[in-house]
Amino acid sequence: MLMPKRVKYRKQFRGRMKGKATRGTELAFGEFGLQALEPSWITSRQIESARTTIVRHVRRRGKYWIRVFPDKPVTQKAAETRMGKGKGDVDHWVAVVRPGRILFELSGVSEEMAREAFRRASHKLPIACQFVKRDDV
Amino acid sequence: MDQKGRVELEAKKRSLLGSKVKHLRREGWVPGVMYGHGFEAIPLQIDRYDLRQVLSQVGGSQLINIKVDGANEPEFALLREVQRDVITRELLHVDFYRVMMTETITTEIPLLTMGESPVAEQKEGILLYGVSEIEVECLPGDLVDALEVDLSELTEIGQAILVGDLAVPSGISILTDPDEVIARLVPLEEVELEAPEAEVEEELIVTEEGEEIEVISEAKARGAGEAAEDEIRDYM
Repeated sequence: MLMPKRVKYRKQFRGRMKGKATRGTELAFGEFGLQALEPSWITSRQIESARTTIVRHVRRRGKYWIRVFPDKPVTQKAAETRMGKGKGDVDHWVAVVRPGRILFELSGVSEEMAREAFRRASHKLPIACQFVKRDDV
Repeated sequence: MDQKGRVELEAKKRSLLGSKVKHLRREGWVPGVMYGHGFEAIPLQIDRYDLRQVLSQVGGSQLINIKVDGANEPEFALLREVQRDVITRELLHVDFYRVMMTETITTEIPLLTMGESPVAEQKEGILLYGVSEIEVECLPGDLVDALEVDLSELTEIGQAILVGDLAVPSGISILTDPDEVIARLVPLEEVELEAPEAEVEEELIVTEEGEEIEVISEAKARGAGEAAEDEIRDYM
């Protein structure tokens, strides 16, 4: 699963996800893409699950790109722990996604296949997504 | 269209500025601006329907005749930037660059792919695209609508069409790096469809078991020598 190799700081504040994405909103590599319509934290497990779904559907017929990277650590206090005693340990990693962000791109497959692959992948994500193709973006 | 085949666009001078332009958008106008070398910027408003029609016909390398407030003499301008809503793709704002026909300009010309690579057609390889437009310098009168790229030249896996391979009309000089790839034919084997790395999974298990996380700032504090070792080892 995706995660950074090194980080500058161990733990982060939660931050906010106001507004729309200003970067990563255009198709950069492929012909088709999956675009987020809602703000959310996408975990590395969700990205991996969606990626696997895309790969299984397109088999070896195309090339895909993952356009988000989970670089934000999320902490969790251990079970049955009393409050206090500082922030919990890093539990997993998430990508902060704002509406408009392209999550995945696909190339070398037909439009129908890309649509179906992204439809299946979007079921693995916690947000509503839309299919985009190069003419639209 | 005028006699030279240039697209014409009617625009009005705009008095509403700043965030008030949202009222214009509600009424079916698209705010814009026209500027150029030695020319004072004019805020404009353009009918959304007309602008959509023009955008469907021109790219960034075609001159447009813009008539501001119904003036008899049109201004020659290039479409410099189009801002759209990232989700709905609705037009938000346009920039026009007014040109002087005697002054060289730097602009981008789109690349138009023609034909089909026989290898990609037979599903033996995948065609990957690089740059879709190139930066050029020329006089406005020398501009062309698009440059054609013939994909049928790609007959072997590993072949690529580079910017340096393009044949451009005289008067146009390419500013983009000639080694930039326009299209490349890659074998199916090169396409990574497997899971990223198995060892990353192992690293995750280590993390879940509560292994200490190495942080760059801490590594720096312990001295450069140790920090270098940490970089090789990575923190997770």
